[in-house]
Amino acid sequence: MNPIRVLLVDDEAEFTEGLTKVLRRRGLTVHAVSDAAAALSLVSRETFDVVILDVKMPGMGGLEALSEIKRTSPGTEVILMTGHLSPSEEEEGLRAGATAYLIKPYPIPDLVTLIQEAAGHKKEVE
Amino acid sequence: MRETADRDYGAMFRFMVGRMVLVSLLPLMVIGGANFYLFYSLNRSVVLEQHANFLRYHRQSIETFLNGITTEISTLAHQYSLDELKAGGLERAFRVVQQRGGMFTDLGIIDSNGNHVRYVGPYDLADKNYRDTEWFRQVVEKGVYISDMFLGFRMEPHFIVAVKRPDEEDFWILRATVNTDYFSRLVDAVRMGKTGETFIVNGQGFYQTKTRSAGEPLSPSGYLDLTPHEGIRVHQVSIEETDYIYTTTWLDNPRWLLIFRQETSDVYSPLWKASFLGLLMFLVGAAGASLLAVAVARAQTNRIKRADREKDMLTQRLMVAGKAAAVGELSAGLAHEINNPLATIDTLQTLIQDIASGPSLSDGDRDEIIDSAQKIGKQVQRAKGIMQGLLKFSRRVESQPEFVDLNQLLQELAAVASTRAIVEGKRVDTDLEELPTILAPPAHLQQVFANLLNNALDAVSGKPDARVLLSSRLHDGKIEVRISDNGCGIPEENLSRIFMPFFTTKPVGQGTGLGLAICYGLVQELGGSIQVESTLGVGTTFTVQLPGRPATAGPDAGGAP
Repeated sequence: MNPIRVLLVDDEAEFTEGLTKVLRRRGLTVHAVSDAAAALSLVSRETFDVVILDVKMPGMGGLEALSEIKRTSPGTEVILMTGHLSPSEEEEGLRAGATAYLIKPYPIPDLVTLIQEAAGHKKEVE
Repeated sequence: MRETADRDYGAMFRFMVGRMVLVSLLPLMVIGGANFYLFYSLNRSVVLEQHANFLRYHRQSIETFLNGITTEISTLAHQYSLDELKAGGLERAFRVVQQRGGMFTDLGIIDSNGNHVRYVGPYDLADKNYRDTEWFRQVVEKGVYISDMFLGFRMEPHFIVAVKRPDEEDFWILRATVNTDYFSRLVDAVRMGKTGETFIVNGQGFYQTKTRSAGEPLSPSGYLDLTPHEGIRVHQVSIEETDYIYTTTWLDNPRWLLIFRQETSDVYSPLWKASFLGLLMFLVGAAGASLLAVAVARAQTNRIKRADREKDMLTQRLMVAGKAAAVGELSAGLAHEINNPLATIDTLQTLIQDIASGPSLSDGDRDEIIDSAQKIGKQVQRAKGIMQGLLKFSRRVESQPEFVDLNQLLQELAAVASTRAIVEGKRVDTDLEELPTILAPPAHLQQVFANLLNNALDAVSGKPDARVLLSSRLHDGKIEVRISDNGCGIPEENLSRIFMPFFTTKPVGQGTGLGLAICYGLVQELGGSIQVESTLGVGTTFTVQLPGRPATAGPDAGGAP
């Protein structure tokens, strides 16, 4: 079984750095970028099972990036993460096809489980 | 909040009563006073005019009488000769005169030497000589004379009318004594009031008639204003601390002062009676107005008191709501700023744990690192919990309203709470009356009542016979849920603050201070209200009122299944 491929998109460098290490140690293949534009170009070139998107970023926001990813790579699962709960954002994100809308800080073991489930779901669809 | 509660309602009440009494009585007093003054002036002028008219008329009748008796005696003296009178004529004439009313006491004839030559009357005066008397000198000089009152030989007050009758070289005098009683009665014929009387004093101020109360004939009257004046004079005189109204006029012959006097209080007694009646009516009116003022002021004060109380409650609610809103705004921004660093910390502590779990460390170090990292993780979750509470408070998870059987929800909550409570030796009882279904987000209702129930269970910790009662009923068309505990109670100074965000009495780390603030906000959003009553050491009751819904509006109107 191929390792699950995860793309982390967040402008908080230390957060992505730490999370990348944790996820890798738990057997995932992880790429990290710090803005939505970089993420979109990467997604267009490579295949990812799960993209973890920060909602609030400088430049293009997470919700916009989500729509773009779903448009170009509909099979890619997207998990939204935010520090700021907003019911309207949550609704918009889920409607646009996000797998989950998570409030930071979300417990890492749970996040791993969620990623695995999402990847499994993706595999089934494929 | 305290400013209106400190208002001095007693002073307000007194001020209102005073002002209303003043407003109603002042015009009454002014009108009453003016009326009295007008009435008094009018009455006074009418009364005094009446006195003057009476005396003017009375003087005429007295003068007529005096002229009459002078004419009578004169006629008698010229009708008869001295001899005729001596030979029984005097007695006959006296009888005739007496038949006309007894105005004379006696008749007598005096010769030019002053000897009393003939006398008809009750006194023993037949051999008296009058040559040295004042009246004798006057009649000799004037021919006709009316004397002032004097004692004379009879030693009784009387006055006489005398006429000189020339007889060849000589003369004789016919003299009549005017009956004092008769004359006094004539003078004092008209009576007015209780004290009105008429009498005469001579030029020296001595009484010339018998009076009812003023004084004996010939005694000094004490009336000193004896300067002659024309016509009628009216003035007030004070004698021995009694005020009189004196109406006076001078007679021509003799020069006597005719006086009508009446005590001032007697003169004005009808006026006083009318005034007293008026005053009585005024007092009755004033008492009525005062009673009315008191009643109106009391009602008004109570109304203001009620309004103040309502205003205070509203102010308090607005303050709580306002603070809650401000905290909400602040916390929404704050949450985002804090959650991101928290996420980083959490991620890194997970990393530490993951690394430490590897085989490269000694067991002791590993345990130490893992333990510390776990503690960091716990603290992160705690901080997250606070932030999430704030977020929920500021912008609550939107939840669709549904028709909820509130009793069922409460029953479930009580059942869940009981499992925890029984272990801790606490009891949860329910007393749920039939309720209509309620249209509200179930999650909100659950949050509100779970929160209140947990608070109640916390409050009874460590109490023997610890008990929480969850009850519901329909009251005045509203659904009322009460959560009562027999716990420690809430100090009064905290009661007004318990709904404020971040207010907590629990130890640090055990309560966020947001529970009741969220309950408050949620209940408000449902259009209801939440109240608290508490007595220290006895217990606390939270009452949540939610608007009832018309029974026909729901799909399954009715109570528990």
